[in-house]
Amino acid sequence: MNRNILRSILIISYMIIIAVIIGGISSLYSYLNTGADRASILHTEIKKIDQYIPDVDWAPLYNEGRPMDQETLERIENNYLDAWYVKQIAYKTNTTSGIEDYYTENARKNLYNTIAHNTEEGVVVEATTLEHHPTLEFFSEDGQLVVITDHGVVEYKRLYKDEVLILETTETATYKIVLLLEDGFWRIRHMVKEYQEVYTEKERFDTLKDISVKGINYYPQATPWDMFGDGFDPEILSKDFQMIKDAGLESIRIFVQYDDFGKANVQEDKLQKLKQTLDLAERHNLKVMVTLFDFYGDYAVLDWTLNRRHAATIVSSLKEHPALYAWDIKNEPNLDFESRGEKQVNAWLQMMTSFVKNIDPDHPVTIGWSNAESAIILKDHVDVVSFHFYEDLDTLEDVYLYLKEEIPSKPIVLSEFGMSSYKGIWNPFGNSENDQATYHKEIQGIIAKHKIPSMSWTLYDFVEIPKEVVGRLPWQKNNQKQFGFINKNGDEKAAFKYISGE
Amino acid sequence: MKYKQHIFLFIAILIATISTGQEKDQGNSIGLLTSQTEFEVGSTVLLQFSSAEAVTPLLYCSNSYGSTVITPVLEETTLHYEIPDFIANKSGLVHWKLIHNNPTSGSFVMSPQKNVTTMETYIGPPTIEAGDIDYTMLVVIPTDSLDNPMPEGTPVMVDHRFLDTQTEEEIETKKIIGYKNISSRRKSGRLFIAAECLETHSTEYTVDVLPAIPTDFTISADRPHEYADGNQITSFYTSILRDAHDNIVSDGTFVTFFIRNKAGNVLKTSGTTVQGIATAKMIHPDQEEQWTVQAYVDGMAESNTISIAYQQVVKNVEIAFAKANREIQVGPLKSFMNQMIPDGFQVVLEVYKDNVLLETYTKTSRKGYVSFGLEEAIFKNDTYTLTIKTAGLEKNLPNIKLW
Repeated sequence: MNRNILRSILIISYMIIIAVIIGGISSLYSYLNTGADRASILHTEIKKIDQYIPDVDWAPLYNEGRPMDQETLERIENNYLDAWYVKQIAYKTNTTSGIEDYYTENARKNLYNTIAHNTEEGVVVEATTLEHHPTLEFFSEDGQLVVITDHGVVEYKRLYKDEVLILETTETATYKIVLLLEDGFWRIRHMVKEYQEVYTEKERFDTLKDISVKGINYYPQATPWDMFGDGFDPEILSKDFQMIKDAGLESIRIFVQYDDFGKANVQEDKLQKLKQTLDLAERHNLKVMVTLFDFYGDYAVLDWTLNRRHAATIVSSLKEHPALYAWDIKNEPNLDFESRGEKQVNAWLQMMTSFVKNIDPDHPVTIGWSNAESAIILKDHVDVVSFHFYEDLDTLEDVYLYLKEEIPSKPIVLSEFGMSSYKGIWNPFGNSENDQATYHKEIQGIIAKHKIPSMSWTLYDFVEIPKEVVGRLPWQKNNQKQFGFINKNGDEKAAFKYISGE
Repeated sequence: MKYKQHIFLFIAILIATISTGQEKDQGNSIGLLTSQTEFEVGSTVLLQFSSAEAVTPLLYCSNSYGSTVITPVLEETTLHYEIPDFIANKSGLVHWKLIHNNPTSGSFVMSPQKNVTTMETYIGPPTIEAGDIDYTMLVVIPTDSLDNPMPEGTPVMVDHRFLDTQTEEEIETKKIIGYKNISSRRKSGRLFIAAECLETHSTEYTVDVLPAIPTDFTISADRPHEYADGNQITSFYTSILRDAHDNIVSDGTFVTFFIRNKAGNVLKTSGTTVQGIATAKMIHPDQEEQWTVQAYVDGMAESNTISIAYQQVVKNVEIAFAKANREIQVGPLKSFMNQMIPDGFQVVLEVYKDNVLLETYTKTSRKGYVSFGLEEAIFKNDTYTLTIKTAGLEKNLPNIKLW
């Protein structure tokens, strides 16, 4: 009996060892047989990646010489923008790669000299161009030479010396450029700057003093932070909007995620869903504040043209929508100050604010700062100042009055406030649902007293919170789940009574 | 008394504020001393500022190609900023700004040198068509020794010579470049082009004026005799192909000759022109024929139609049998002077059994004769029908017994 057990153990262990050895050898064999797909050797497929897409607005073609065709013009434009792009990269890194593709042998010397000088002096230039208004002046008969005048090139530059930011400037310049067709590339041969001035922003909304907002930040219960994904359901939205309206609220604040919407190439289906959301809001008589650039956190100068293309697509397709109330450029950008630099983030916000205002002159633009101190930063650039408040209620009145005093001429919106009713192992001393109700009752009192335009956070308790929102830590996640007026079972919490007033 | 004291105090404070204000003002202001706002490229550009403080703010500077920062040299109360060569050597607007808490900014213009060192010349297309429609374009970018384009309105002389005529014209640069369209002439030939700007001359450029497309032409045929012996060759010639302006078309112009025979079949032969004449050849038919010939330069020109007749040479076919009828000899095949037909004349033998074609043999003549052998292994002893075809003639031999 014992021998039999011993024997079977021996046989089984033997089989296991054999299996492990064979498995090992076979995986090694298959590993050695893997390699690049043979088709990839040929680089047969070249995908065009959008790296640099400033607004280019060609003047009507009345050039001298040979008549221009659209295809050639497109090639010239692409190569011309690439020339700007490689130049920006070269000056940012003080290296010369890529320059020979887009500048002729004589022209590239000028760039090399600048790079050499800047390297020596420890100067780094981060720059981008935001607008080009080229006019085709001349196209040679053999199709090998063009002259263009690029009017009103809006250039944003940021200069560092020894890694310290010393200058930020936005300029408008006019260049005359000669390009030659060499080796299939349109290369810059001559470039002469003819005119330059400091870029000035246009001002507007001088009369916008007071607005009234009574709203709520909205995500569907099942798909928080993924409102326009596969779980998009117009029926749920319609039901929720009806509930919001019935609760006495007039507006919602929603979020458009930069990556999710396809970055520079905004996906049509997402845009349609966003439009549909606004249509539904319109049907239920709600106004919508659309928050752009959610989950975006780069702000790099060379990303700007891509950001602008993204914003331009969304803003221009929604700007006529009757349900649209305002544009929030970015949710809580001040949280990126530490990792990206305050000046860098503010420069981006200022640029984007002015850009959105230009595309949509009729809707106010704001920035959803996470606290009142930051709200003052770009007060002269936004149409409406907005801030979020999650601190002790006793200070709200002072904070609001302080902002009112600092910014007497613009409306101030409290665009997020709320309290989590989470109390559990991760936060045993948290607030109960009754505490939450008391909080909302009190804050509605303050809001009513000062007529503060406000939007609460948020309609629903959520079951799942993506890690991008508050990170992976369970006490933060769990806390974030229970800010709602309606719990995860769909029942109204005690605070629901105070959703729109005392 | 108290009143006076008040006034005194007031005045004292006033003086104090004014003087401190002035001091502060002086301390903050850095004034530009350089009044020149236009410099020639290559010269030393020095921006000087007066400065009361011992501060040395950096100067941001941006030109046509890039931006940089310049560190000053402070001499007593003057700040000297020497604009580096790579900026001072390029024409265009240079914008500067003092990086200081009281920023001053301005700009100056770098203008190109007064003389031209290089003439960048582009000419194209390199070949054009004779006639009054086509033209080539000369584009000139005169630049100074530092590779800066000349200012607008710089005169450029364009010379061009064609055959015996030489022309000189003046153009002006506009938007960096100067250009001139040079039309082709009615004659083909070579255009010589050169440009000159402020006493700097370009090298010589040539543009070929090629003949235009051919106009309609005529053709002729030439042959050693008029007999259909399947041996001699008929040559076809075009007249000299010329364009609308009487220029002989370029060598190598492809001409196709279409030959249509009595049966309506088309034979095709072709040739390319040399000195305007294209030649093509075709072997004589082996039976009486009437050819209609026309030539084309595809899509451009065509010739007249000519017709050529060929006379029958082989009048009758004699046949002899041997070796149990298994050897069939055709001949003698005689030509127009009763001479034996030249070797290579085609004869076809068809073997039928009960109206079913069993085999076809094609052979060519040698010394006027053709002989066919019918193998025992293929054709069993039996009676067959044989048909001989040659020179358009057909001879039927029914019930030939093989044994």
